[in-house]
Amino acid sequence: MITLTINEREITLDKPMSVLDAAKKAGIKIPTLCHHEALKPYGGCRLCVVEVERMPKLQNACTLMAADGMVVTTESEEISRTRRGILEFLLINHPLDCPYCDKAGECELQDLVNKYGPTTGRYTEEKRKVPESHKDHILARNMERCVVCTRCVRMCNDVQGASAINVIGRGNRSRVEPFSSESFNCEYCGNCLTVCPVGAILSRLYIHSFRPWQIDKEVETVCSYCGVGCSLVVQVRDESIKRVIPRMGSGVNRGLLCSRGRFGYEYIHSEDRLRTPLVRKNGTLQQATWSEALDVVAAKLSAVKNAEGGASIAGIASPRCTNEDNYVFQRFMRTACGTNNIDSLSRTGFAAAQKYFEGLLGQGITANLLDGLKNSETILVLGDDPAAVNPVLGLSIREAARRGADVIVIGYAKGLEKFHTLQVIPRVFREAEVIEEILTGVFSDRGVRGDMPYVDKGLRELSGRISGKKTGIEGIDETVKTLLKSASTSIVLGMDIVQRSDGHRALFAVAGLTYLLEARLYLLSGRPNEQGLIDTGCVPDMLPGGRPVNVPDFRGKFEAVWKASVPDSEGLTLMEIIEGARNRSIKALYVMGDNPVRNIPGGSIVKEALGALDFLVVQDIFLSETAEMADVVLPALGWTEKAGTYTNLERRIQLLRKAVETSSGMEDWRILSELSRKMGVPANYSESEDVMRELARVSPLHRDLTYEEIAAGDALWPYNGEPLRGEMYEVPAIVDAARDYNADFYLAVDKPLFHSGTLSRRSRALMKICPEAAVRMGEAGAARLGLKEGDRVRLSTSAGSCEAPVSIDGTIRDNRVFLSGNFPGSGVYDLMNFSIDTVTKAPGTEGCEVKIEKIEGRG
Amino acid sequence: MFNDTVLKEIEGIKAKYPDRRSALLPSLYIAQREFGWLSQEAMTCVARSLNLPEAVVRGTASFYSMYKHRPAGRHVIQLCTNISCMILGAERLVDFLETRYGVPANGTSGDGRFSLVIMECIGACGTAPAMLVNTDFYDNLSEKRIEEILENYK
Repeated sequence: MITLTINEREITLDKPMSVLDAAKKAGIKIPTLCHHEALKPYGGCRLCVVEVERMPKLQNACTLMAADGMVVTTESEEISRTRRGILEFLLINHPLDCPYCDKAGECELQDLVNKYGPTTGRYTEEKRKVPESHKDHILARNMERCVVCTRCVRMCNDVQGASAINVIGRGNRSRVEPFSSESFNCEYCGNCLTVCPVGAILSRLYIHSFRPWQIDKEVETVCSYCGVGCSLVVQVRDESIKRVIPRMGSGVNRGLLCSRGRFGYEYIHSEDRLRTPLVRKNGTLQQATWSEALDVVAAKLSAVKNAEGGASIAGIASPRCTNEDNYVFQRFMRTACGTNNIDSLSRTGFAAAQKYFEGLLGQGITANLLDGLKNSETILVLGDDPAAVNPVLGLSIREAARRGADVIVIGYAKGLEKFHTLQVIPRVFREAEVIEEILTGVFSDRGVRGDMPYVDKGLRELSGRISGKKTGIEGIDETVKTLLKSASTSIVLGMDIVQRSDGHRALFAVAGLTYLLEARLYLLSGRPNEQGLIDTGCVPDMLPGGRPVNVPDFRGKFEAVWKASVPDSEGLTLMEIIEGARNRSIKALYVMGDNPVRNIPGGSIVKEALGALDFLVVQDIFLSETAEMADVVLPALGWTEKAGTYTNLERRIQLLRKAVETSSGMEDWRILSELSRKMGVPANYSESEDVMRELARVSPLHRDLTYEEIAAGDALWPYNGEPLRGEMYEVPAIVDAARDYNADFYLAVDKPLFHSGTLSRRSRALMKICPEAAVRMGEAGAARLGLKEGDRVRLSTSAGSCEAPVSIDGTIRDNRVFLSGNFPGSGVYDLMNFSIDTVTKAPGTEGCEVKIEKIEGRG
Repeated sequence: MFNDTVLKEIEGIKAKYPDRRSALLPSLYIAQREFGWLSQEAMTCVARSLNLPEAVVRGTASFYSMYKHRPAGRHVIQLCTNISCMILGAERLVDFLETRYGVPANGTSGDGRFSLVIMECIGACGTAPAMLVNTDFYDNLSEKRIEEILENYK
C-alpha cells in the first residue's frame, strides 16, 4: 500500500503507479500533452510538472512514481508560470491558424493555452514555414502545427508496430515524416490520427468538411469488417457518417482501429446502393414495389416447394448480416421453405474449421478471449497473415512478441515479418505434413493425455503412420522444443490451409496440438459475424444454439416455438448446394447479403450453377455480380442503418446501433419475416430486439441474453447456456492427398489488409490506398520472367485469365503468386477450379497452375 | 541492394552488439561510402540488412549533420575558415577553389569531382590554413600546395 497526499488529499494506492495516474484516480486533473493513455510515459512536454515536498525542482508527474508519504501540489503560481512558459515556447513556431484548422474545438494545445495562457505572443522573428503536405491520399500532414510530442511516432512504433513514421531532423527543424517524406505507404491504421493532440495529422476523408461541435450524434457501435469486432464511434451529421473514431480503452480493440474499420465506412453512402426492389421482367431487372416483389418471391418459392419439395430449395446466409438477420433467415428457410439446405460462404473456411474443432474437442474450443494472445509465451501462427485478415488481433501478437513471446510462423505472415522469432516454410500447399510432424514431436514427448480417448487414438495412429518419415524442413525441431517448454500457448489459424482437398489433415494436426498443449485456439475470421452465423443456425446440420437438427427432442422444442415443422435430415453444405443447382436438383436459391459469384473458388462454375436455377432471390445492399443474375433483388439495410448483434471470433456478442436514417431498403430480418408471413408461417417482430428475445428463448447458447446485457459488454461465452460435448466419436479417416507442386507458378488467394470481399471496393478511401488487384510474387519468380514492379502481366489458368500489375514481395520464397478477389472484373476465384475436402466440405484451392506472361508496351 | 562483401561487413558489425539497432550508425557510414551519400536507396539497403524499419533508419540518419544528406562530389574537401586559418588566407583559398576547380563553398563542382564544405576548427591553428580531403589531413596550405595535393584526387 502506498499512501500519498495530492493537493492536501490523502490517496491510497493498491499498486505502483505514476503521480499522474494517482491524481487521475483521485479525480485531480493534471494537464498533459505528450502523455497518452495508450502509450508509455514519455516525459517530453513537461506540462504535467508538479511540486513535490523535499524535492528541489518541479517534477514530471507522468514519469515520477508515487511513493509512500509523498506530498504533491498540482497547481501553484510557480507551476502555472512554468506551464505558461512551456506553452509560449510551443507557440513560437505554431501558425495559430485555429480559425482554419480542423482540430479547433478538440485541440489539446488550444485548450491548454486557453487555460494557462499566454494571451499574447512576444516573439517577433520569422516563424518556421513548412507547407502542408497533401501528397498522401489519406493522411494530410501540417508540420507547422506539430508540437513534436511524438505521440504519433510512439503509437506507430510501440503499439501498431508499423514504424512508418519518425521524427526527422533535430532541434526546431524536427518534423514527423514517413520514410518517403511524401506518401505514408503504411498500414493506414490511422491510429496516429487518434493520438495527435493538434491539427498536425488529419484525415483527408473529412478535412474541412465539418467542425467537431457540428456533429449531430455520436453512436457507439461495432465495426462491420472482420471477426475481431472492434468497438468504434460513428459521428454523424445530416444523416451522413462524417468520421469513424475509436473510444480509448473501450471494446476488444482498446481504442485501436485498422484501415478498413476507420476509413472503410464510405460504402454505406455509395451511389451504387440499391434503392428499390427489382423484379426480372422480359429478361431484365426492373424496378418494382415492395409488395409486388415480395408477392413474386412468396408465390414462386411456394410453387417450387409444393411441386418439388423443400429439399429443392436452398439458402445462403451471410456472415456480414447480424445474428437477428441470420436467425430469421434459417427460421424462414426451415419452416416456410421446408429445407435444411442452409449454409454460407463461411463454409469455405471458418465454418468448416469450426465444425471440425467443435466436433472433435467440444463446443467452445475456439472461444478464447483476445487478451489471452498478449499473455501467451508462445504463439503459433498458421495459414494466413493475422495482421491482414484480423489486423487488431495481429497487434496482440505483435505486443506478445515485444514482451518476449516466441512467435512461430508456419508459412508466410507478412505483417509479422519483423516480429516472428522463427519461420518454418513448408513445401508449397503441403502445410499439413509440417504440422503433423510438429504434432508427433510433441506427442512423443507428452504421450497420451487421456481426456479424450478417441483423440488419443487418432494421435497414436498418426504418429505410427508418419514415424520415421521426416520432411527435413528446417525449424520443425526447434518449434517442437519451443512448444514443449511453453507454459501458455496460443494457436492462430488462418483459413488458407483449410482450403485444401485434404484440409482436414491440417485441422486434425492443429486440433491435436491444441489438445496436447492445452493451447488457446483462435480462428481468423475475415467477416464480422461468422461465429454468429453458426450459432444462430445458418448451417445445414444445426439449429440455433448448436443443437443437431436430426435429434427429434431438440427439433421439437424449436417447432413448438415456431409453430411449424422442421425437416429432420441434415441439409446440403455450400459447395453441395452449388453442385445441386448445377445438376438441377436445387431449383430455387435464396441468397442473403453475399456474392457467391465472386467469393467462391470456381467463379465460372458458380455462375453456371446459378444460371441453371429456376428462381434466384438476392437480398443485398448493392447490385452485386450475383444480384445481377437474380430473378428478384431485394434492397436491404446496411451497417449503421439498423440495430442488431454480431458475435466475434472470440465469441463475444456485441451490439450494433443504428446511426443513420435511410429511405431505401429494409432490415434483412424484416424482409424475411414478411415473406414468412406471406408463406403461411407468421413471424411477428417489430424490432430487432424482438428477434433477440425469441433467440434467447429457443437457443440454449443465447439463453436469457438481453440487449442491455449485451450492451454492457457482458455477453461472453458461454453466456448462460450449457455447451454440448463434441459430436464426433472418432477422428474422421485422414486422406493424404500430398503430392509435389513443381509447376512454375501456382495461384493462391491473397487476403489484403485494405480490402474485404466485394464490399470495400465501394469505399473511396480504401480504393485510393489500394486501387487495383496486383499479383504478389516473390523476387526469384519475378526475376525468372524478367518482371519489374508495376509491369502488367496476363495470368492464365485452365479456368480463365485476367490482367494485373506485378507487385514484388521479398517475403514470398516459393512458387505461389497471390491475387485477391476484391475488385470488379476477374478476381482470383474466377481463375480457380476447386476440389472438395470430403471431411470438412470446404473447397480446396491448392495446385492451381498459372501461366504468367508479360504484356509488353505498357506498365 | 548491397553486394555480398558489404553485407558481410555489416554482419560483422551486427555481431559486435546484442541489439541490431546498435549497428545502425556504422552501417550508415558504410552505405554512405557505397552510395556516396545517404539516398533513399542507401537507407533502404541499411534498413533491409539490419531488418529495421526504414523510417527508423531515416529518423536516425537525419539527426546527425555529418552524414551526407545530399549527393556530394567524388572527393569532399573540408576547409577551415575559423580565426587562425582566416588570418592566414583561408578565404582566398575558398575563392581559389571556386575559380580553379569550379567548386563553390558548400557546393559541388560541375564535373562531380569535388565538394567543398566550409567547416569550423580542425585543431590545426599552429599550422593554418588547414583542410581535410576525404579523411586525409593537410596543413600550411597555399594555392600552389592545394594544386599539388588535389592532383592526387581525380
